[in-house]
Amino acid sequence: MNMRIPILKLHDCLLVSIQWELDDQTALQFQEDLLHKIHETSARGVVIDFTSIDFIDSFIAKVLGDVISMSKLMGAKVVITGIQPAVAITLIELGIHLEGVMTALDLEKGLEKLQRELGD
Amino acid sequence: MRKTIYQYVYSHNDEILNEWIELMRKEADERAIQTMSDHMFIKTSAEFVELVMSNFSESVEAFHDRAIEFSEKIVRLGWPLTMMTDGLRVFGQIVEDRMKKEGNIDHNSYVEFAAEINNWMFPMYKTITQAYTTSWERTVSLQKIALQELTAPLIPVFDKISVMPLIGTIDTERAKQIMENLLEGVVNHRAEVVLIDITGVPVVDTMVAHHIIQAAEAVRLVGAKCTIVGIRPEIAQTIVNLGINLEDVTTTSTLKKGVEQALTLTSRKIVEVQE
Repeated sequence: MNMRIPILKLHDCLLVSIQWELDDQTALQFQEDLLHKIHETSARGVVIDFTSIDFIDSFIAKVLGDVISMSKLMGAKVVITGIQPAVAITLIELGIHLEGVMTALDLEKGLEKLQRELGD
Repeated sequence: MRKTIYQYVYSHNDEILNEWIELMRKEADERAIQTMSDHMFIKTSAEFVELVMSNFSESVEAFHDRAIEFSEKIVRLGWPLTMMTDGLRVFGQIVEDRMKKEGNIDHNSYVEFAAEINNWMFPMYKTITQAYTTSWERTVSLQKIALQELTAPLIPVFDKISVMPLIGTIDTERAKQIMENLLEGVVNHRAEVVLIDITGVPVVDTMVAHHIIQAAEAVRLVGAKCTIVGIRPEIAQTIVNLGINLEDVTTTSTLKKGVEQALTLTSRKIVEVQE
């Protein structure tokens, strides 16, 4: 079964909370959905929350990196929040540094950061 | 025969003890004796001889328990295992020499005597060695745990600011532990800035630097900022000479400056109170 990740709109931001482990298909679907949504709503910021993810593989990490760069190209700033220690270690070990991406401890702080970045 | 030996040892207890102490002093490792006072040496020796004697009178289990208790003490005192095995050998030797001299054994009964001594000594060797190594292993494992606990503590010094002081050499195993503690700590204490203090790290080579940079990167991923503090002049020199790139990581020379910087990052400052 193909589960879609819900993307919520909050003022001029998009809010994504990933609640279960992603498989390859879902990740690609998510990439497509998010980019469409950014286009549709002309959102200026995106927050992606990873709090419930304890495990990540290299493909998913690459897709996420791509999504972030693509969103930037479309003029939306991305903040990722709630990366678990184990996931952070895996990412670093895989050599995925997600350079230039804003991070925050949790969703609340992530939103604050985004508001500050968007300058209002 | 066993009874004869026992009776002999029992009635000449003090003399054997004195002779044993005399011989052990000569034979034993200097180091082992230096670490304790004469009084302690004699007391422990007496206990050892008593332990050997108790092998006659007590059951196997009781002797085993005693041996374990005694070994634990010996390990704490820092006596080597050879001291105990030598002690047993010397003890047997003394008994044999004295009994020979006093005519308790002659040519005919010697074979029986030797067999009896062997039967008496071997289980004792086994028990004592076993007890000693068990206590030793326990000590080592306890120390290992203690060392692990000291490896990488993360201390929350202010709201949103935590410090991890690192002391001693960093190897791969320890780097892993540091990374885990650091990230868990950041999430648990909800820290926004973490200061890694490397004042106590004697050498920073490429590998150590690599581990520290990785830790800093990982901290950024979980959503906090990482500053490396306590960079001594010689460490700054090594880092540059080795061509390590620390450009992406904030660094300061002292913990004090680091804390000030962290306060600025979290938009706070320390003010003096006006009376």
